[in-house]
Amino acid sequence: MRVKVLFFGRLREVAGKSEEMIDVPQGALIEQLFKLCAARKPELTAFRPSLVASRNLEFASWNTALHPDDEVAFLPPVSGG
Amino acid sequence: MTTATKLDVVQLVRQPISVSRLVRYVRASTDGAVIAFDGCVRDNSNGRRTLYLEYEAYESMALAKMREIVADMHKKFEIGRVAMVHRLGRLDIGEASVMIVVGAPHRAAAFDAGRYAIDTLKKTVPIWKKEFFEDGAVWSEGEQPPMPGETAVSVKRASNPR
Repeated sequence: MRVKVLFFGRLREVAGKSEEMIDVPQGALIEQLFKLCAARKPELTAFRPSLVASRNLEFASWNTALHPDDEVAFLPPVSGG
Repeated sequence: MTTATKLDVVQLVRQPISVSRLVRYVRASTDGAVIAFDGCVRDNSNGRRTLYLEYEAYESMALAKMREIVADMHKKFEIGRVAMVHRLGRLDIGEASVMIVVGAPHRAAAFDAGRYAIDTLKKTVPIWKKEFFEDGAVWSEGEQPPMPGETAVSVKRASNPR
């Protein structure tokens, strides 16, 4: 199944893109999706401890199961205001 | 999901924010106080001269989180209308990056709600700031939003592994 992944801020710069469609196995977790992204772009791995994840506009834990067409983002520490 | 009331203003904009326009909009005949928080661009970061800032957002999620904050303000405080506007793109020194305006019958609720709003925005709304200096640029260190199940306190962890 396919999910959409979004990158922002410093992670967008490291990924070299702001979004990507990725094929994941049925029932894959957000953590596995991150590992797939990091396999394509190893520089992402070092950022993992600083990130939180979102699924469909809500913060989501790393063990959240994905569904087809989900929109997932890996969010660096926020600095609005 | 909670929502703000129909009369509240929650926006992401790319043009300068007018505080007077927002104050005029928020002020109602039942209000005894209107407070405006103007978050503006400082000319230095720990003494290093800042040239300008750039803000970017996960816009759809940022708007959803801003609406949640405004809805929570109405639950927690006796207030009237709220305006919460964040600017994106390039901002020069002295320009407003965020404006929060709160009307209320009494000043204590207006101040408390405004403080709650900006503190929560800075911890939970997916917006990022890049600071440009004479000799380079850095993403601001920022705050890690609480994961589901965690309490909404600031959790400072390593944010830049470089």
